[in-house]
Amino acid sequence: MLLSGCVTATVDEMVFNEPTAGIGNSTVVILGRRQASDQDTELSFVECVGKHISSRDKSIIVLGELDFIDALYPWFEPRTAPLRPTALKKLMQRRPVAQKMAELNTEYMIWINGNTERTHSMSSMSCTLSPAGGGCFGFSHWSDESNYEAVIWNFTDMAEVGRVSTNASGQSYMPAIFIPIPIIAPVKGTACNGIGDQLLKFLSAHY
Amino acid sequence: MEELLLALMIFAKTRTLAATTTWLSILLLISACGTRQVLVQGQFPTPVMDRVPITLGVWYEDEFSNHVFFDETKSKSEADWIVETGPAQVAMWNTLLAGMFENLVHIQARPSADSQSPLVDAILIPHVEELQYTLPSQTNVNVYEIWLRYRFEVVSTRGEAIAELSMTAYGKTPTAFLKNSEKAINLAAIMALRDAGAHFALNFSHEPALQQWLHQFGTTELD
Repeated sequence: MLLSGCVTATVDEMVFNEPTAGIGNSTVVILGRRQASDQDTELSFVECVGKHISSRDKSIIVLGELDFIDALYPWFEPRTAPLRPTALKKLMQRRPVAQKMAELNTEYMIWINGNTERTHSMSSMSCTLSPAGGGCFGFSHWSDESNYEAVIWNFTDMAEVGRVSTNASGQSYMPAIFIPIPIIAPVKGTACNGIGDQLLKFLSAHY
Repeated sequence: MEELLLALMIFAKTRTLAATTTWLSILLLISACGTRQVLVQGQFPTPVMDRVPITLGVWYEDEFSNHVFFDETKSKSEADWIVETGPAQVAMWNTLLAGMFENLVHIQARPSADSQSPLVDAILIPHVEELQYTLPSQTNVNVYEIWLRYRFEVVSTRGEAIAELSMTAYGKTPTAFLKNSEKAINLAAIMALRDAGAHFALNFSHEPALQQWLHQFGTTELD
């Protein structure tokens, strides 16, 4: 049985130009920022936000991050991805890139920057294994913190049109009397839902 | 992980202290002294770009097309690593160069003053000068990393130097559950190869040593 720990989350939103009737037939791509060696937005988080949006509004087509990066190689690799909308404008001056983007019909590009880190952990648990059997005794606990920011770029205007950030923190516990019982705080999942809900409000005509 | 499962299965069958001790010792020996081997494998996308209007020849020396990195561990608690990047190098550079240049020709021998090379404008000879890696056990960070350092010779059909370029590439992959070290190193190597391809594709026409030479073919590259 998996029990759940407590999570505290805050979401900030700053939107400049929301599409009032949704995004129509256009597609959205969500990409993780990974341009520095210590900067690594998890693929799983990007995927989670994409699924959150497309599962709640089935009319929104969210392109897969890896498919998009492959389709536009080498322009969206960690070292070559545009950092500002002006760089995107320059990139679109390249005919093959503009053609590919037109094929993909992408109206919004959402960049997610951030990660989930373990900020604290402590354990006084010991496990033993003997021919007669085994078991664990003790207590472990750890804290995780998620900080993510999503920046929304519009392709038609080649401009930033919104910014959403979320931070979530929570503590997980694992007491053990023979069997360890994990009580996990879904920190990353809460951050994903928080940022996903805000993006859904931005992109969907129904929310 | 397979070794652990095997040991646990045998432990479950025997369940004696002596047998347990023996099998745990074997398990420790396997995990401490083994050699980890990775044949780098992956798919590489074709670049989306205007092709450079030249016919490029490419010559892969044996050392490049069979490139193997061997790292003998200095610690008894860690394994030796053999990382074979050669076939993946050839696959990546073939895909990249075919998408980057108007025509790509594979040369069968190193160009020299005596060689009868096909009609190409220049020949590219890539070399892997160095490969370095880090594992989570070395850095205490849950990331596998690979650095590659390349040297490229651009020569005429008679083997005369046109330019020499050097370049570094970097790839990393975070550890993930159910992913073993070999798979993680493979993914880091693929990322490094993609990074190498991206860097080469974006900078080839901007290399000062090549810019003037390329002008004769009417290249107009965006800044």
